[in-house]
Amino acid sequence: MKIKLIIFTLIFGFAVSSCEELELKPKGILGEPELFGTAYGVQKYFVQSYMKLPIEDFIYYAINSPSNNFGYKGYMPGNNNYWQAYKNSLASMSGEIYGWNVDIKEEGVGYWPYDDIRIVNVFINNFSNYKSKYDDATYNSLMGEARFLRAFFYQGMAKRYGGVPIVTEVQDPVTTPAEELQVPRATEYDTWKFIYEDLKFAMENMKPTSVTGRANKYVAAALMSRSMLYAGRVAKYTQHLGFSADAAVQGGFAGMDPSKANEFFQYAYDAGLLIKTGPYALYTKNYPDKATNFANLFLDKSSPETMFSKGYDGLTFGHCYDALMSPNPDFSSFVGAEGGPVLQHMQLYDFPALTDEQGKPVRFAKRSDIKNEMEPRLLGTCYFDGDELRGKTFDIQKGIYVKYTGTAADAQNGSNAAPINATANRKLGNKGDKYNGVLITGNHGLHANKGGENNAFMGAFIRKYVDVNRPAALANVNKSTTSWIAFRLGEIYLNTAEAAYELGKRTEAFDYVEAIRERAGCKVTRPAIDQATSSTYGYPVEASLQFIRDERGRELYGENHYWWDLKTWRTTDQVLNNRYLRALACYYVFDEGKYIYLDEINRDNRTKTAAKRSAYEKIPQGEINKNPKLLPQNPLY
Amino acid sequence: MKNILYLLIMALLLSFTACQEIDNWEEPSARIYGNVIDKYTGSNLLMDQNDWQIRIIDRTWEEKNPGAVSQFQSLAVMKDGVYNNTKLFSGTYDMLPYDGPFWPVDTVKGVILDKETQQDFTVTPYLQLTNFKATLNGTNLTLECNVKAPIITGLPNLYEVKGFLSLTTFCGNSNYININEYNNLRKNINKTWAAEVGTADNKNYSLGPFPVKSGYTYYVRIGANVNALSRRYNYTEIVKVVVP
Repeated sequence: MKIKLIIFTLIFGFAVSSCEELELKPKGILGEPELFGTAYGVQKYFVQSYMKLPIEDFIYYAINSPSNNFGYKGYMPGNNNYWQAYKNSLASMSGEIYGWNVDIKEEGVGYWPYDDIRIVNVFINNFSNYKSKYDDATYNSLMGEARFLRAFFYQGMAKRYGGVPIVTEVQDPVTTPAEELQVPRATEYDTWKFIYEDLKFAMENMKPTSVTGRANKYVAAALMSRSMLYAGRVAKYTQHLGFSADAAVQGGFAGMDPSKANEFFQYAYDAGLLIKTGPYALYTKNYPDKATNFANLFLDKSSPETMFSKGYDGLTFGHCYDALMSPNPDFSSFVGAEGGPVLQHMQLYDFPALTDEQGKPVRFAKRSDIKNEMEPRLLGTCYFDGDELRGKTFDIQKGIYVKYTGTAADAQNGSNAAPINATANRKLGNKGDKYNGVLITGNHGLHANKGGENNAFMGAFIRKYVDVNRPAALANVNKSTTSWIAFRLGEIYLNTAEAAYELGKRTEAFDYVEAIRERAGCKVTRPAIDQATSSTYGYPVEASLQFIRDERGRELYGENHYWWDLKTWRTTDQVLNNRYLRALACYYVFDEGKYIYLDEINRDNRTKTAAKRSAYEKIPQGEINKNPKLLPQNPLY
Repeated sequence: MKNILYLLIMALLLSFTACQEIDNWEEPSARIYGNVIDKYTGSNLLMDQNDWQIRIIDRTWEEKNPGAVSQFQSLAVMKDGVYNNTKLFSGTYDMLPYDGPFWPVDTVKGVILDKETQQDFTVTPYLQLTNFKATLNGTNLTLECNVKAPIITGLPNLYEVKGFLSLTTFCGNSNYININEYNNLRKNINKTWAAEVGTADNKNYSLGPFPVKSGYTYYVRIGANVNALSRRYNYTEIVKVVVP
């Protein structure tokens, strides 16, 4: 027995010690030669960067980063077992749509993507070792694509922080002394110029066509157009903020000399001209119905207007836009509408008068008659009473006036204190409530009970990006497959128009505006140029320039441009200054049998106010602790 | 068995006491205090509590730690224009009243903090609000004052004139009845002084009527600001209004 045990022990001992050293390389890991050596490998390598590009789309959180977002700082690719609500979007924060309470977060979400930049820098620095494996055109195109990706990340920071450290090398954190790891902040001018250089290279070297979701030279030009327009505005208008004594401004880290503005506007303008030579065209497939045409532009994945989009498949990557933009249960199988369009923005378009010359509310025979005078583009952007979606009809009404004899002003924007709004005369209610046999509210709002969402808070719903072909049963969490259009020709036209106008090419600027307004179906497609200045927003702006700015508000409504536009125009604190978000409230006048529309303050009496410091976001304190060379901090933080 | 358990518990308890480590830093004990003085009136600047702060930067820390960059701390200023902080490390500091309703001032460099230090600041307010009158007519309160700009050259846009009502003796932008009924009565101007007032150096503003409630005591004042930095307010003095 004992001998057996000894033998077994010996055999066991030998067996263990006889192991070969495991030096086989794992075959499942792709190294640099595999990734950089073939075009497919490069494509695989770039996927991680494309996924994390700073595109403020359906799933971007403007105001907070939920705890389980894996450090994505506002941008949250993938489902992450988390559903992203559009009420937290930039459009909601900047007061384009009204939903749950979203305070303005001037300091931002701490976006600091140097890890992503490093990934691109690895490619840029090492790709030349594999030059022999490619023909020149492919090699240059891939290199250009990398520069495009890097510029995109830097643009995401420059529009937030102004000047940031420019890192082009791949630093080794182990061998590099701390001194060198701490790269100081570059000036804002140098940062935008760096973005310019990267994009210029990309525009000159990339191929003119690409598959959906991947960039080409025109997409690089589109990013150039947008970035350089931002830079031009920053250079020109930062002087009006009154920050000049601040250390960050004096050092050139926040703000630029106004004399640099035209340089950047010129870059933006030139990029616009290049894009005009490309294969893109304004979307007109559904003419002559310009409203449907405008709505379909955002749904048609083969639209010739889309230059660059971010796709969702509804399986691995989906979003909740359809589930959260239209009310449950008729249009959605989830929470339902979380936000509605704000009246101030609706009234930027051709909009019917709500009052007559005496100030009395205009009487409409049918609720949906309000749409008769509306701009088709607005009808393509919002759903109003009587519109159809997913086989159901929108039914929107706030209440009943037993009689309404006075002016619209008598209703005091919906205040309960107004005599005409006494409960004996104004009937409000919830779904199904009746007054003398007549339904008080519409099926979809506006209901009196404040709790919960799913209510036509603002008298209309969002139509832009809502997928009409999706049945209500599939309008659910992370099921939506609509692509987010990161760049489209319409935006480029408006970028070019604004840059041209700033450069003094006023007539040419309005050529672009006219094309946009023609497609929108506006009554006046080309307003006369009006150079009279007004200082509504703190500094003198020509009326026609303001018109172009407002045109962006109309055309790009809800596309998360508005916040960045206000920010770079340096008018956030002027426009969002105790601003009431107003609602379009439809009432039935009982004794007349007619309908009126009143301009009311939102039901929660909520206002939007942005502090002046919102011109720049705060450099994250955690980064300053690691690298004091990031000081000085941006103004007013 | 029980003994072992007791021993284990004992060891566990003892291990807690083993963690004591003495902090070798002395408690910060230097005190800095002073007044923020209005250059025109010679008395303390009228403000609300903690409307804006004084920034202090510890330069001694940088000397002791080469390569370190000190960041500012903010000292709160009280509503009577007095500030007082008793928990600072002694050393050499730079001080700067920042982002208040006054023309920018230079950083005061090399203030030495040791036990007790007094450092007053004299500032030039953007606006002066004088002749403040609060008139009560039944339950309607009207506020009136003169807004004066001692320095007009380079003055940012006159932004707004706003009445502040409060139910406590604290009254101003940090403590007021923040309801839309009252807020809507503010005068939103946002024009240059020349466009709004013209060549004169002052203009009378009347705000209201504010609907107030019978039986309440209100503390009221007017604030006016210009479009500079964070648009802090210059105030009138606070007046107590008893509504019968």
